[in-house]
Amino acid sequence: MSIIQCKEICKSFGEKVALDHVSVEVPEGRIFGLLGPNGAGKTTLIRIINRITIPNGGDVLFKGRPITQQDVEKIGYMPEERGLYRKMKVGDQALYLAQLKGMSRQDAVAGLKDWFVRFGIQDWWNKKVEELSKGMAQKLQFITTVVHKPDLMILDEPFSGFDPVNAEVIRKEILRLRDEGATIILSTHNMESVEELCDDIALINKSRLVITGGVADIRRRYGNNNVEIEYTDADGRHTEVLPRETDGNNTLKSFIDKGVTVNSYKELMPRMNDIFIKLVTEGDGQNEPA
Amino acid sequence: MNLHKIGVVISREYLTRVKKKSFLITTFVVPILFAALCILPAFLINNIKEKAQSVVVIDNSGIVLPYLEDSDAMDFTDCTGRDPEEVKQEVMDGKSDVMLLISAIDSTRSVSAQTFSRKPTGVDFSQNVSYKINRAVEDYRIKSYGIEGLETIMKDVKSNVSVKEFTLDDSGKATVSESGIYMILSMVLGMMIYMFIAMFGGSVMSSVIEEKSSRVVEVLVSSVKSLELMFGKIIGIALVALTQFALWILLTLVLVFGASTIFGLGDLLSSPEMTQMAQSGMSGVDMSSIQNSEMSVILTTLSNIPWGQLIVCFFVYFILGYLLYASMYAAIGSAVENEADAQQLQLPVTIPLMLAFFIVFFAMRNPESGIVWWGSMIPFTSPIVMLARIPYGVPGWEILVSVLVLLVTFIVMAWASAKIYKAGILMFGKKSTWSDLFKWLKQK
Repeated sequence: MSIIQCKEICKSFGEKVALDHVSVEVPEGRIFGLLGPNGAGKTTLIRIINRITIPNGGDVLFKGRPITQQDVEKIGYMPEERGLYRKMKVGDQALYLAQLKGMSRQDAVAGLKDWFVRFGIQDWWNKKVEELSKGMAQKLQFITTVVHKPDLMILDEPFSGFDPVNAEVIRKEILRLRDEGATIILSTHNMESVEELCDDIALINKSRLVITGGVADIRRRYGNNNVEIEYTDADGRHTEVLPRETDGNNTLKSFIDKGVTVNSYKELMPRMNDIFIKLVTEGDGQNEPA
Repeated sequence: MNLHKIGVVISREYLTRVKKKSFLITTFVVPILFAALCILPAFLINNIKEKAQSVVVIDNSGIVLPYLEDSDAMDFTDCTGRDPEEVKQEVMDGKSDVMLLISAIDSTRSVSAQTFSRKPTGVDFSQNVSYKINRAVEDYRIKSYGIEGLETIMKDVKSNVSVKEFTLDDSGKATVSESGIYMILSMVLGMMIYMFIAMFGGSVMSSVIEEKSSRVVEVLVSSVKSLELMFGKIIGIALVALTQFALWILLTLVLVFGASTIFGLGDLLSSPEMTQMAQSGMSGVDMSSIQNSEMSVILTTLSNIPWGQLIVCFFVYFILGYLLYASMYAAIGSAVENEADAQQLQLPVTIPLMLAFFIVFFAMRNPESGIVWWGSMIPFTSPIVMLARIPYGVPGWEILVSVLVLLVTFIVMAWASAKIYKAGILMFGKKSTWSDLFKWLKQK
């Protein structure tokens, strides 16, 4: 079941086409990565899902029916350009945003306390936002995005501005939220986090959808169909890359027959980073293999 | 519209402002200034009485002294014949405040006069003294013509004419009035409402700009409708304004009454003499009764001002005027990313506001002129101009028409502003112009 379906979305700003018939389906309970180089149209697509930008054509469906303002107001949305009231106290700020998401004051206080404890930032409650460092403000922003337990979260570049330690904290939280049943759409440039986090992706380049699907499928599809075998013989350890045969056992057998010790045999999966660069530099993705 | 969410927005806008130090400071400092303005003149008048200047007089002419009568402000002592230097020394020592030295009558049958004092004597003193000396010299000269029955003639020709103003109400009943009071009141009201609209309207604009420049707006509009956000903000700030007024009025009253009790001014104001003064006519000829009658005119004038209407109108016009300008300010704020860019864009909004301010000056001088009448009807100037007219009395239907026109204009403007605001708050990077604003207005 898809939580979000974008059908043939078109959007142009004056002469400039931002999205050209883009169709994307986000399955429920998964982490969906929206990839693409700068200016590809990711943020525009996110804003269209959030009804901040009105598309020129196409439909956005939420659980199979046209998305409404009420649906949007429940989405946990963290925009790329983070923003908080600088002069407000951290606690007041978080309470305000949580209440705007429809939480009652008591629920908001309880929910926020939980998150503050989880992140170990209880003593920030009475600090002013302007006293926080960029990373700290990011954490607060993340909390305000998820505190109302939304079914769907849209995180635009969730890791930008975080140091590796905090990025890891956020990564774990995103996985935990997914495991608890939430759907997460995130846009990112960080391909490592895509491999680690995303179940499905869509790659947008130059306003067009280049590819969409499960991460594992895509990696397999774009691999050179090679396997890597590592073995030890009298001279020591060796690594060899061979084209994959339909039956891996044949390959293995030929090695075993040579009298070497096979240490490992694995399918060579291309890194998302390479696929990304390949697809993007290939232009509009016309040469996409079948 | 989701009322719960508007409520959340309103309470944030309200609470963050009311909790600010600057709000507390303006709330408490302004009434102190008001109270000081109310009390100080009365306090001074009350205290000047007790400090009559002691004046020692050396009258070498022999004609002036009888004219120097003691009064509340001056206490004359005759020292004619003593050595001027010696008397001067007494002034130096502080035994008396002023030495008045009058020369002998010279060839032009006049005298010259000099004063010596440690501190400047003040305008009142010198006017008063020269008036007395001139009368002495004039009488001396008249006497020198040797006219028979002079005393009687002088008494007979003395006149004291002043213009007494009346205003006629609908029934033709005439009441004493003092146009000075109307002028001041009309000016003060016009200025106040101008100030408040500019201040709180501007505050709406900076708040919109703040949300935009801090980018918090994108999170907000994913949670609430932009319309809810805009009206929540406008209403929240209106409540701040009303809170501030209420506190100002309350604190000013407390301060004025408190100070009156402490300084005993209350007794003065309610004393029988004062009441009598207020009631007395203008038959008297001496100085003090002229003052009394002025006081009585002021009091009658004040009591004839339609205070109830004035207060109701003040709030109605403030609220509507504020709403109209606040929605325009919100639209402008939504189109820019910092205050500096707002300067040029807001010109079309500030110009009518300034215009209204200038029309108030016309209203003060001539409340019945055409420009003032139109100014009090045209919605962009009416909140300010009408308030300046009201002390002079305005027919009910004119107020009604003017309020209705203002209300309709506000509704139209709010609709337009909401459209501009909705498009504007998410426009980043490019400097917006008025033609952009019109484009957004036409957008679906």
